[in-house]
Amino acid sequence: MRSLSLSTRRKLAANLFVAVMLAAWAIAALRLPGYVLPDPLVVVRQALAFFTDAKLAGHVVASIWHVVAALALAFFFGTALAVTSHYLRVTRILIGRAAAFLNSFSSIGWALLAILWFGLNDQAVIFAIGVVILPIFMINMQAALERRDAELIEMTASFTRSWPRGFISVVLPSLYPFMLATTRLAFGVAWKVALTAELFGGNSGFGFVVNIARQDIDTPRIFAVIAIMIAISFLADRFMFAPLQRVLTRHYADA
Amino acid sequence: MHDAAARHDWPARILADGALVIVVVLWWLASRNLPAFVLPSPWATAQALGRFVADPALMLDVAATTGRVVLSVIVATALGIALAIVPFYLPATRDIVHARILPFLNAMPSLGWAILAVIWFGVSEVSVIFAQTAILVPFCFINVSQGIDEIDAEILEMTRSFSRRRSLTFRKVIIPAVAPYVVAAARLAYGVSWKIALIAELFGSERGLGYVMYQAQTISDPATVIATCFVIVILFILGDLLVLRPLYRFASPQDRDKPLTFT
Repeated sequence: MRSLSLSTRRKLAANLFVAVMLAAWAIAALRLPGYVLPDPLVVVRQALAFFTDAKLAGHVVASIWHVVAALALAFFFGTALAVTSHYLRVTRILIGRAAAFLNSFSSIGWALLAILWFGLNDQAVIFAIGVVILPIFMINMQAALERRDAELIEMTASFTRSWPRGFISVVLPSLYPFMLATTRLAFGVAWKVALTAELFGGNSGFGFVVNIARQDIDTPRIFAVIAIMIAISFLADRFMFAPLQRVLTRHYADA
Repeated sequence: MHDAAARHDWPARILADGALVIVVVLWWLASRNLPAFVLPSPWATAQALGRFVADPALMLDVAATTGRVVLSVIVATALGIALAIVPFYLPATRDIVHARILPFLNAMPSLGWAILAVIWFGVSEVSVIFAQTAILVPFCFINVSQGIDEIDAEILEMTRSFSRRRSLTFRKVIIPAVAPYVVAAARLAYGVSWKIALIAELFGSERGLGYVMYQAQTISDPATVIATCFVIVILFILGDLLVLRPLYRFASPQDRDKPLTFT
């Protein structure tokens, strides 16, 4: 044990920990009723059904669609508002207050209001997710604009007098890494909020599945949904956002 | 956030205050043409808000939720500290905490905790507190852990050369270094808890603001839903202003005048 390096020992300990936890779960499941703690194998089988059963797979696609649509809308409006407040100084306090208000508004409140306004459908879910992550884009993109290099801006101004040209060819690219970092953060939040929004306001997606499983006390299915959601969120972060961020940072934010 | 910097920025102030008036007027005009179950008038919403300080039953709901929020923030902060401090004293456990427990807690949907809590503990106080605490722990952990990571290794070494007593190092170096982060963690958890953790009350309780909101939604009473959201915003601001901000100033005298930001 002494001869192993610290990082090897850390990895070993981490994997051992997961193995012990899974074993503890399996043993505990033997003693407890299935609706309290289902067997890990039952959960795995249930999780696989989401990719083999067409109806369940449709719910996976619906949830991904809700999150992607909400992210796109919040990205567009949030960035537009941040740019407005940065360049149109007179709107700064107004937009700052709007962001602070949105940021402290209850996400469940939005979900419940969305049902009253849109009914039980995709729009309600997308609205509820989008409005929860909107302040994340407003606040972070505003901070990114503030933090940009003043010299870069001066250089742009000396090269071109055309504001749109300078904005599109210099300012916007310098924001790409921040945009991605913010989207990455918002994705994590959106993915978690989606479950709430779908449970109250949706007729499709993971939240809808969980709502029915909850009424049937179908605990294995609830566990399966949670496991898939954690897996998707982990895989998207590890294999989509992390590599993208490395590429973007190398290209646009080389300091 | 920018209010202090822009104190002399009159046009921006006027626009910000004017926009608030315009929003209320637009809200009022829109509500006249829409049914009350879609958009209540500002007046009806204000009346619904007023009931929270007049109706004893609603006041009990406010008290119940506030109590749960405070308790779960305290428990979550304590657990966050415990989780963050383990890798500091046992370096081999770093990946267990940072690469296994944290990503899991981070990715776990809040609603998942709320539903599991009801399955495990039934409709009870325990299930609400459990779910809220579980949702808040990763937020606390990340902040405290950042504080521990930023403890200066050289200062620690110097302390060790002065004294071998671990308790002294802990009291004189570690606590003062980490305290601002602990308060920041509690502050962040407090904000999140008002925003998200009410979810636990929708399933696991028969009292509290989450329950009031859900009941109002089922009888199509958006005035109460919106009023409850305002109550939450007000309670959040009060607690932050009266308790957490002074506490933060106390914990980090060197940052007294720095604006508070969370990343």
